[in-house]
Amino acid sequence: MNNMPAILVLAPLLGAFFAGLAAWIQKQLSYYIALAALAVSCVAAVSVLADVITSGTMQYRMAGWAPPMGIELRIDLLNAMVLVLISVIAFVNLVASVQNVAREIPDRAPSFYVMYLLFVVGLTGVTATGDLFNLYVLIEITSLTSYALIALGDKDRAPLAALNYIFIGVIGASFYLLGVGYLYITTGSLNMADVAVILTGIQGSTAVLTAFILCILGVWIKMALFPLHVWLPNAYAFAPVGFARVVAPLMTKVMVYVMVRLMVTVFGMEYIFETLHLADAVVWLAVIAILAGAFTALFQKDLKKMLAYIIVCEIGYMVGGAWLGNTLGMTGAILHILNDGLMTFALFLALGNIIYMRRQTVFSDLSGLFAAMPWTMAGFVLAGLSIIGVPPTCGFFSKWYLVLGAFEAGAYHFAAALIISSLVCAVLFFKVFEICFFAPAPGAQGHHVPGNPQPPHDIHTAGNLQPSHGHHAAGHAGAVVMAEAPVSMLAALGLVSASIIAAGVYAGTIVDTIILPFLQ
Amino acid sequence: MKFIGFVIVCLTGGLLLYGTVDLPDWGDPASPASTHLSDYYIEHIVEQTQVPNLVTAVLADYRGYDTMFETAVVFCAGLACFLLLRDFRPKKDRYFRHVPTGVMLHFKNPDTRLVAGNEFEHMDKDWVPSDMIIKTVCRILIPFIQIYALYVVAHGDFSPGGGFQGGVIFGSSLILMAISYNLKTLVKRVTEKFLSIFAALGVLIYVGLGFLAMIMGGHFLDYGMLAPLLPSDPGHIRALGMLGVEIGVGIAVMAVMVIIYMNIVSEGRHDEGL
Repeated sequence: MNNMPAILVLAPLLGAFFAGLAAWIQKQLSYYIALAALAVSCVAAVSVLADVITSGTMQYRMAGWAPPMGIELRIDLLNAMVLVLISVIAFVNLVASVQNVAREIPDRAPSFYVMYLLFVVGLTGVTATGDLFNLYVLIEITSLTSYALIALGDKDRAPLAALNYIFIGVIGASFYLLGVGYLYITTGSLNMADVAVILTGIQGSTAVLTAFILCILGVWIKMALFPLHVWLPNAYAFAPVGFARVVAPLMTKVMVYVMVRLMVTVFGMEYIFETLHLADAVVWLAVIAILAGAFTALFQKDLKKMLAYIIVCEIGYMVGGAWLGNTLGMTGAILHILNDGLMTFALFLALGNIIYMRRQTVFSDLSGLFAAMPWTMAGFVLAGLSIIGVPPTCGFFSKWYLVLGAFEAGAYHFAAALIISSLVCAVLFFKVFEICFFAPAPGAQGHHVPGNPQPPHDIHTAGNLQPSHGHHAAGHAGAVVMAEAPVSMLAALGLVSASIIAAGVYAGTIVDTIILPFLQ
Repeated sequence: MKFIGFVIVCLTGGLLLYGTVDLPDWGDPASPASTHLSDYYIEHIVEQTQVPNLVTAVLADYRGYDTMFETAVVFCAGLACFLLLRDFRPKKDRYFRHVPTGVMLHFKNPDTRLVAGNEFEHMDKDWVPSDMIIKTVCRILIPFIQIYALYVVAHGDFSPGGGFQGGVIFGSSLILMAISYNLKTLVKRVTEKFLSIFAALGVLIYVGLGFLAMIMGGHFLDYGMLAPLLPSDPGHIRALGMLGVEIGVGIAVMAVMVIIYMNIVSEGRHDEGL
């Protein structure tokens, strides 16, 4: 028997309570326990993915009970991929964010790590489970931890943003729970595979339709699809950096995964696209979401808010792709879960580095960044190009599948929205690049940026990494001193940037080995 | 805006009513919910787990994985209260009460020390002396409430009850003490460190039993695998496993109840509170 699926989800849970206890012995211990727990989870996720690719879907019976009676973890190619994404991002972020956390939440860092682990447990649990109610319980854990961690951010504005998020998030979770209730009354089961079999016999039932609408609406609220997105920008912009970096790439993507899972596994594509006639309306909704997200991002004056609205726009891509009703569109949507997770993570890593050095992310404060933080900006540019969809990066390939899917389905408005939003993203990012590259640095007379307590060894280490670049930058901008983020943050950003390129180069392999076999 | 809200509420209500058209009748014995899985549970639970309380068996064994996360949710709630409300800043003004006479002293300088014996105690500005009748009644009641809580936890697998209910009752006995005396009396007996450790320990008992079953060669939470560790009847082992996790749940819920109460009533300062 292979215990890996359970270890993957539960190692961080065990780690969370040990970290909580260890904080009473030595505060630093809880960080190392968190790191170890996530490393175990990463290894388990990779081994599960390898197993699933070679030997097919894995089932794990909790407490040894057979599925409809007990709860099972059911890991096929789709969740194996998402699980690897979650556990790797959570681990890398923990390495990268330790200094941010130490600065932002100095007195209660151990509790932060406990919450962080529980958040990761929630995400992996949602992704791994094969039980509808268990999914709800884990959504509850993810939401509760994210409310608390977001409220820890900006002293003045984060609590209010978190309160908004709680009101809307609770409504979303309740809708999902109501939907599961209707499903349980009509089928008598909570296991996804079992429910799917029973549902094929009672597709005309109004209760099933209600259950479907409620579940999907609940998930849409949680993933911030356009008219239901109002909680997201403030919540993500005011969250502490160490948490924003992990919640922004993962939370919405996991909810997209839940939507795909409900559509493909529970209700079935036939029911959605042949019995119901909602697909056209949803694709229009996605078009509006994409355009609204992109154009709202255009009017932002703060980098954090701009990135938050780009997330809203990207959600539109995935929802639209999934609802096109053909394999190409669904392939694009699933590939975009992976790619958007990586791109958003890279953007937020770079954002965190900028916040760490400059403390401000309003556009007018970003001047001179290319000279001061060349490595961070290199990662930022790469992730930006990927969001725009420039070929060698992964963002291009998922958009390519989405556009092909749109043409096959005859949804030209969706293809047009994709292209327009890419152009808007290009404008957005080049506007930021221009400010960072050409605008004169603030107070640039050979001194540090004001209000920036730059520890000297950081300059030293960054300078050692690439001395020639440092000289060049100093010579070019005249007086800007290079003030790069600590090495651990840069290493994380470098790793993620490399994986953006790798995911682009191997996009064909990913589609052939993971996504297409899953959809068949 | 109000009108749009009204329309949305009407639409949601309409959808919910529309969904009820095809629902089975109220209490229909032939409905899927009472035929698909219920039959299996009713026929097999006693034989498979030796637990007469079917609800507990489903909750703590068949769906024990869910219940473990529900306990983790409770833990999260307590931790969130601590993270967001706990206030470590020292107070600027301090008040002391001369116990025999009830005279209050006000110190505006936080560095001042009071060189006196036990005659003075640290106090809140708007402190109200607690009522003797209430104090006496609560002092008599609290131990019985706590015994009853332990009974509810221990009898979860035989009669209605279990860890969540027992934990809440135990926690409320401690809260009653804080209300009838004051918060400081409680904090002296049950410190913050004690509560935090117990909150984590309670859930850890649950998760740990699960991992123990895994180490013994079974699935996660498969209590049947724990049989070699206990000298009792191997058929009864699942009931004992459930009792173990119920105890863990009870400890966690008790500690979290008190943590939430302490942090909310004293705005995170852990002084007199209400």
